[in-house]
Amino acid sequence: MKNNLAIKIINLFKSYENVKAVNGIDLEIKKGEFYGLLGPNGAGKSTTINSITSLVKPSNGSIEIFGKNIEEDFRFARSKVGIAHQEVSQDWFFPIEQLLYFQAGFYGIPRNDSKERIEYLLNKLGLFKHRSKKMRELSGGMKRRLQIAKALVHDPDIIILDEPTAGVDVELRHDLWSYLQELHSEGKTILLTTHYIDEAELLCEKVGIIDKGKLIVEDSVDNLKKMVKNSSIEIQLKDILERKPQFLNDYEHNIDDKKIHIITDKPNMELPSIILKFSEKAIKIEDIHIPQTSLEDVFLDLTGRKIND
Amino acid sequence: MIKNWVGFYTLSSREIMRFFSVWRQTIIPGIVTTLLYIFVFGVALENRITEIGGVSYKIYILPGLLMMNVITNATANSASSMLQMKLLQTLPELLITPLSSLELSLSFIIGGTIRGFVNGVLILLICWLAGMPILNLPLTLLFIFLVAWSFSSLGLFVGQLSDSWDQLALIQNFVITPFSFLGGIFYSIKMLPAWAMTLSQVNPIYYAISALREATLGVSDAPFLTSSIFLIMFTVATTVMAVQLMATGKKIRF
Repeated sequence: MKNNLAIKIINLFKSYENVKAVNGIDLEIKKGEFYGLLGPNGAGKSTTINSITSLVKPSNGSIEIFGKNIEEDFRFARSKVGIAHQEVSQDWFFPIEQLLYFQAGFYGIPRNDSKERIEYLLNKLGLFKHRSKKMRELSGGMKRRLQIAKALVHDPDIIILDEPTAGVDVELRHDLWSYLQELHSEGKTILLTTHYIDEAELLCEKVGIIDKGKLIVEDSVDNLKKMVKNSSIEIQLKDILERKPQFLNDYEHNIDDKKIHIITDKPNMELPSIILKFSEKAIKIEDIHIPQTSLEDVFLDLTGRKIND
Repeated sequence: MIKNWVGFYTLSSREIMRFFSVWRQTIIPGIVTTLLYIFVFGVALENRITEIGGVSYKIYILPGLLMMNVITNATANSASSMLQMKLLQTLPELLITPLSSLELSLSFIIGGTIRGFVNGVLILLICWLAGMPILNLPLTLLFIFLVAWSFSSLGLFVGQLSDSWDQLALIQNFVITPFSFLGGIFYSIKMLPAWAMTLSQVNPIYYAISALREATLGVSDAPFLTSSIFLIMFTVATTVMAVQLMATGKKIRF
C-alpha cells in the first residue's frame, strides 16, 4: 500500500566529483516505524537523509514523503519532516526561546499558535529555565537538546535524527533514547542514523545496514542477528586437556589453553548434548558462555570489516 | 509567488532584528564616519577647494557619502548574514523549512534593504542638519530605497557564493570601494581622465550618487532620466540574479 509509507526512496544516487556517496539506494519506511540506518562513517547515511530534506540534490532517483514527491510538493514534504542535524548550529544573536519561535515561523506557524508547543518542548528538554540565554551560554548537551527542540517545533510526523547521540554524555543519551521511544509510541515515524550498535539494537524496529553508498541488508534486529552463521559456545575447562576427546572432531572448534571454542549455527540447541559428552569423558567444566550476537557481528559478517574501524 | 507568508515575515523580521541587535556595528559606524567627513572637509579643507557646480565642496560630497554608506550597509547585511548562516550551520535549518527560494531570497534582501535605508535616512538627517538642501524629499527617499535594495540583492548573491570572510572582504575592498571612488563621491567625474569617465558609464554607483545629488542639490553629472532608468534596471537585474542563484542552490544545497 503506497499510502502506508512515510518515506520512499527510489533508486537514489549521489556523486561528488569522483566519489559515489550514495550508489543506488531503495528504501521504504512505514508510517510509525522506528528505522535505523547503521553504517560506518562515510557510508552514505547523512547524504541519504539530507536528500530527504532536500539539503542534498540527488544525482539521480526520487523521494516521496507520504506518497508525494519532495520536489513537486516541497512545502508539504518539508512540513511533514523534522530533522536534527549532526552538526550543532550556532546562532549568537537571539535567546534560544526566540530561535524556536523563528523556526516555528519558518514552518508557517504564527507566534501565538506555537507558544504552547514551544513551552512544552522547552520543559520536556530541560531548557525552560535557560530560555532567555543565548547559545554561547549553553553547554554542549543543552545545545544538542535545543537542536532536537528545533526539529520538533512544528510537530512533524516524521522525525529524522542524524547521529543524535554522537559526542553526548551517557545521561543525556539515555534521556534522548527514552524521549525517542515516547515519540515513537505516539505514532511518529522515526529515522535514525547511527554508528552506535547498542543504539540501533535498543531503539529500532528495523535496521538498514549501509556501506559504501549501498543498502546491503535490512530487517528486524532479531532477524539480522539470525543471519550470522558464526555463533559459538565458549567452554572454560578446569584443567588443561591431556588429549583431545574424539567427539570434538564432530564440531568446528579451536582450543586455546583451557578454553575451547565450538563454532555452531545453533549454540543453544547444541549445548546440552555437548555438556553431556564432556561429562561422559569426565572432563570438568568451569564455565560456559554463549556470546550474544550483535549487529556488529552482522556487519562484520557481511562486509568483513568492523563498523567503527 | 509568495505562499508561506508567515515564514516570509518571520525570516524578514529575523534579518532586521539581527542587525538592530548589533547596532553598534551596523548603525553607529556610518554616522561617525559621516560626521568625521563633515568635520574634516567642512573645517579643514573647505577654504582650499572651490565650489563644484555652484555648490560648496562640503555640501557637494554629502550625497556621495550618504550613498556610499547605504551601499556598504546594504551589501554587508545580506552578504554577511548569508555567510554567517553558512559558517555557523544555521542555514541548513532554514533550507529544510517550507520556504521557497523566492521567499528566502526576498527576506534576506529586505533585511539588507532596511539596514541600508535606516542608515541612509539617519545620515540624510545629519547632512540636512549640516546644511545640505533636500530639494525633493520623496525622490531622495525613493533613490535611497532603490539603491539599498539593489545592493542588498548583490550582497546576497555574493554572500551565497562566498566560502569565507576573506572572500567577502575582497569584494568590499576591490569592487565596492574603487567603484565608489570612481563613482564621483568626492568630485565631479568630469574632472577625471577620459578612460575613467568611460568606465563610469557602466558604474551603478556613479548613477546612484548622481541621482541622489540631483534629488537633493539639483546638480549632477549624469542626466537625471538616465540615472533613474539605469538604477531601476540595475535593481531588477540584481534582484533576479539573487533569486535565480538561490533557486539553483549553488554552494548551499549540495
